[in-house]
Amino acid sequence: MSGAILFDNVSLKRGGREVLSGISLELTERRIGLIGNNGSGKSSLVRLLNGLLSPDTGRVNVHGLDVKDDVAELPRKVGFIFQNPDHQIIFPTVAEEVAFSLEQSGRTRREAAAEANAALARFDREAWAERPVHALSEGEKQLLCIIAVLVMEPAVLVLDEPFSSLDLPTRRRLERLIAGLPQQILMIAHEFDAYASYDRVIWLHEGCVQMDGQPDEVVGAYRAFAEASQ
Amino acid sequence: MISLYLAERTWLHGIPAGWKLIALALISLAMTPLDNLPIMVALNVATLALYASLGRAAMAQIALLRPMWPLFAILLALHWWNGDIRLGLIVSLRILAMMLLANAVTMTTRMDAMMDAIEPVLTPLGWIGLSPRAVALAVAMMIRFVPLLFALWEALNEAYRARTGKRGGWRLLSAFCIQTLRLSHHTAEALAARGGAPRGPRR
Amino acid sequence: MKDRSLVQIALYAAIFAVLGLLPRFDIPLAGGVPITAQSMGAMLAGVMLGGWRGALAIILLLFVVALGAPLLAGGRGGLGVFFSPSVGFLFGWVAAAFVAGLLMRVLRNQPVFASALVASVVGGIVVLYAFGIVGMSLMTNLSLLDATKACLIFIPGDTIKAVLVALVAQTVARGMPEALLSRSA
Repeated sequence: MSGAILFDNVSLKRGGREVLSGISLELTERRIGLIGNNGSGKSSLVRLLNGLLSPDTGRVNVHGLDVKDDVAELPRKVGFIFQNPDHQIIFPTVAEEVAFSLEQSGRTRREAAAEANAALARFDREAWAERPVHALSEGEKQLLCIIAVLVMEPAVLVLDEPFSSLDLPTRRRLERLIAGLPQQILMIAHEFDAYASYDRVIWLHEGCVQMDGQPDEVVGAYRAFAEASQ
Repeated sequence: MISLYLAERTWLHGIPAGWKLIALALISLAMTPLDNLPIMVALNVATLALYASLGRAAMAQIALLRPMWPLFAILLALHWWNGDIRLGLIVSLRILAMMLLANAVTMTTRMDAMMDAIEPVLTPLGWIGLSPRAVALAVAMMIRFVPLLFALWEALNEAYRARTGKRGGWRLLSAFCIQTLRLSHHTAEALAARGGAPRGPRR
Repeated sequence: MKDRSLVQIALYAAIFAVLGLLPRFDIPLAGGVPITAQSMGAMLAGVMLGGWRGALAIILLLFVVALGAPLLAGGRGGLGVFFSPSVGFLFGWVAAAFVAGLLMRVLRNQPVFASALVASVVGGIVVLYAFGIVGMSLMTNLSLLDATKACLIFIPGDTIKAVLVALVAQTVARGMPEALLSRSA
């Protein structure tokens, strides 16, 4: 099945610790949330999807690609947005940052530059092209990261706590933007109201799936658990 | 970021970077063994005339050499002490002219154009794993990091001042090194997530 | 080249540049003499990253400066700096970083402070000044002796910087031992 993410009995150890134990999931929904305490394995789980980490046991398949056998093709298929935009942006100006993704996809420099401007225009941000990155606000930088990843036209977009450093209005704007995207979205966030319109939320606890289902139920259960463990 | 490139377009801007670099190299090679004071003076006059033809903004750049006065003074003094002030003058004039000529190339050439001009020279590096694209990426990353690291330093300084009331200075250096190493891990991860360091020519 | 190495090299090249942009440090021991931080950059690159990566970081910095970026202390840059009498020091930084890194590897079983101090002094002063003095002598037609006289005044300041770098290496080793890549290389 090409439109699904499959985890088949996946286990992973990092630094001697077992961070994922026997995870088996079939993700076909369009909007999926991933919640849980810090250290529960969420970040490790999503990093299996773009080849940053490799499972010790089991198999992971993303839209037809095996994460071990087809690892070189993963960056094109799986777009990844990290928590801190400053840790992701590698070029000094906006246009260069976007053009890099295109060059990685095989365009020549000239083609990439032209398409980068077109991409910025689609988001009403043509004016940003020559701007130095450090002149952008946190929210603008995060938007830049999203644009730079989307131009590679991935099938899946993974977001690892993308809203942490953003204020509420900026977050809402980005949430709305993300909600309108054609990609399959898998998002880790601590701002649970973002999951209101999602199809499925998975609660990961100490490397295992604690609960898996409708956003209201799972978030509610997690909230109760968090309160109780005070 | 601030660069030394002169925004006001002059006739020298229009000349291809490669030609300017070759001309600079040739002049440098020709001048180095020369022991002729009149020629050196003529070279400097020609250089100043060049700058004059480039306009006021270019002439203003000559002032950038002012901090070098003490060095020239020491140089002349040492040669005078050795009884050969003439050689001291030749050397000083040569250095002055070459620095100004080299600066003229920098002023009138975009960094991008320089990279393009040098790229043929860089291709042998590809054999040891350093493709021109990787070099271009390294250059871009470095430029990207400078304001970021500056901000990081300021953030560490601010935190230190809030705790001690004094400016951090050298004490921040260790924390700075650790933080930057963490930054490098994240950035390497982000780079890997986008396909990794590129191979091949700059296309 | 691995992603991580490329990033670290670019990072240390940037650190070198930032050290030039920072206001001068004041060190109580030096009796209030302001120290420009930038020349610590070569020692730091070698001590932290090791010989190869440290040297490449300086080469990258010099490359970007040659392209036209004003990243040397005082906002200097462009091709002009390569025609100045102190050009020997620029290339000397590359050798300094390399030797400092090499010594960190050779001395990896010794205490961090001592090995970093040796690395910084041998790389950042002895090797650096060898290149710098020879370069100056060639550029200015002065004898090596005269060129040495001209450069002597900076050595005390650089000795303090070597001590600083050793202190930093020691502190980093305590906080995050893996950070001292030069020892594990």
